[in-house]
Amino acid sequence: MPLAPVNDSVGIDALTLDPYPIYRQMRATTPVVRVTSVGRTFLTKAAYTKMVKDDPETFSSDDPNTPMKPAFQAHTLMRKDGAEHRRERMAMQMAYTPKVIKQNWADIYRELTDRYLDSLPRGETVDLFGALCGPVAADILTQILGLGDADADTMQRWSQQLIDGAGNFGWRPEPFAVSDRANAEMNAHFDSLIDYHKANPNASAFAIMLNAKDPIPKSQIYANLKIAIGGGINEPRDALATLIYGLLTNPDQLEEVKRQEAWGQTFEEGVRWVAPIQASSRLVKEDCQIGGFDIPKGDTVMTIQASANRDEDVFENGEDFVVFRDKNPHQAFGSGPHHCAGAHVARRTVGEIMLPALFERFPHMTMPDPQAVKWRGFGFRGPINLPVTLN
Amino acid sequence: MVKVTYIAADGTTTTVEGEAFSNVMQTALDNDVAGIVGECGGSMMCATCHCYVDEAWQGKTGARNDGEDDMLDCAAGEVKPNSRLSCQITLTPDLDGLVVHLPEAQY
Ligand code: FES
Repeated sequence: MPLAPVNDSVGIDALTLDPYPIYRQMRATTPVVRVTSVGRTFLTKAAYTKMVKDDPETFSSDDPNTPMKPAFQAHTLMRKDGAEHRRERMAMQMAYTPKVIKQNWADIYRELTDRYLDSLPRGETVDLFGALCGPVAADILTQILGLGDADADTMQRWSQQLIDGAGNFGWRPEPFAVSDRANAEMNAHFDSLIDYHKANPNASAFAIMLNAKDPIPKSQIYANLKIAIGGGINEPRDALATLIYGLLTNPDQLEEVKRQEAWGQTFEEGVRWVAPIQASSRLVKEDCQIGGFDIPKGDTVMTIQASANRDEDVFENGEDFVVFRDKNPHQAFGSGPHHCAGAHVARRTVGEIMLPALFERFPHMTMPDPQAVKWRGFGFRGPINLPVTLN
Repeated sequence: MVKVTYIAADGTTTTVEGEAFSNVMQTALDNDVAGIVGECGGSMMCATCHCYVDEAWQGKTGARNDGEDDMLDCAAGEVKPNSRLSCQITLTPDLDGLVVHLPEAQY
């Protein structure tokens, strides 16, 4: 079979600004395509992205030679497969279960959310992205992980510095210098909390990992915490911002959502419509075929779940925000062994707590100028501002 | 083909024909049976495919697989002695007629 066609024209800037028309075009004409500017083979159909993620033997996450390693100063579970990955993941998974959230944290999350809502000025236009979405997500994560008094600004800064390092595919020294400093700060902070968590076993991820019968090494505990910091703030932040935008720009749906209290369904639609994590990479371990094209061993394929989530074969009117769909089998949380460990947490916190609390507090809020909202991101995506008039 | 009956929390009963050696999660998805999400595709990483094996069938479906217990703890619904992750139940021919009950919610 032939190799997949090459796309020389699409650049990273266009993908960052608005990838969706590009993906629609790709789905229609070149669903498997080698994108020169990114150096990856893009897979834009739902069937392909799912197939790749469900087959870790052929499509491996184990790629120690990405900038993630220097950025996190560790070979993390995100980039491992098989038993090693499972062991490190299950070491913290109990902290992220629906039952633990319900029993231990739901009230605390409500309080945290209320505290931020209390601070918002009624009647004024506020950028909810900075004033609510980011800080609430960060504070909640601090609790889940058991990170003591780490404040929202610090958590968000660490998170961004890790992400910037991990995305430093140009291998420039500065982003690694910044992530090195963040690692030093995080390590010192984690060190200071160990005695407390050992003396006071609790349901936080840190305590669960430390107090396990057969604990994973401390270096991997720290790596797991950093993965959670890097991957557990921007995603709920972006999901919440996307949801608010989707509802405020579709007032009819908003009314119906309120009437039915369909917040969970709204959450699913928001993350389908604009998946916070849009694309992932897998290393091809053996020669194979996808969609009628040869994919050689050693190639890196990119599953574009952003595109899979709008695939015409699966979704009607996929480009639109439509809460009340019959079915919504999106891939926003991925599939396979690396299915998002925080999926339950995100559904509970963003979908069941933050979103309804916000709309209850400000039932008449409006978005004065939807055009003013800017969206950014290729690997990760969401609004980067969200001016809303609170009423 | 292997017959499987899914009984939803509200009592809705759906019987479908599954392919031999597929699994109970995949068979539900292939036949549009509501109530099983199976978001991780059977990798035992999501616990959104939780089901309760009907008592009459418990002996036949066998014991939980390695690691299944831990993942069941991550399920949204109550875990009972007959709880299984449906992606871990392979449809062997002797399961023809299998009945499983579904929890109210998978997440
Ligand atoms: S499908 Fe995810 S655990 Fe069964």
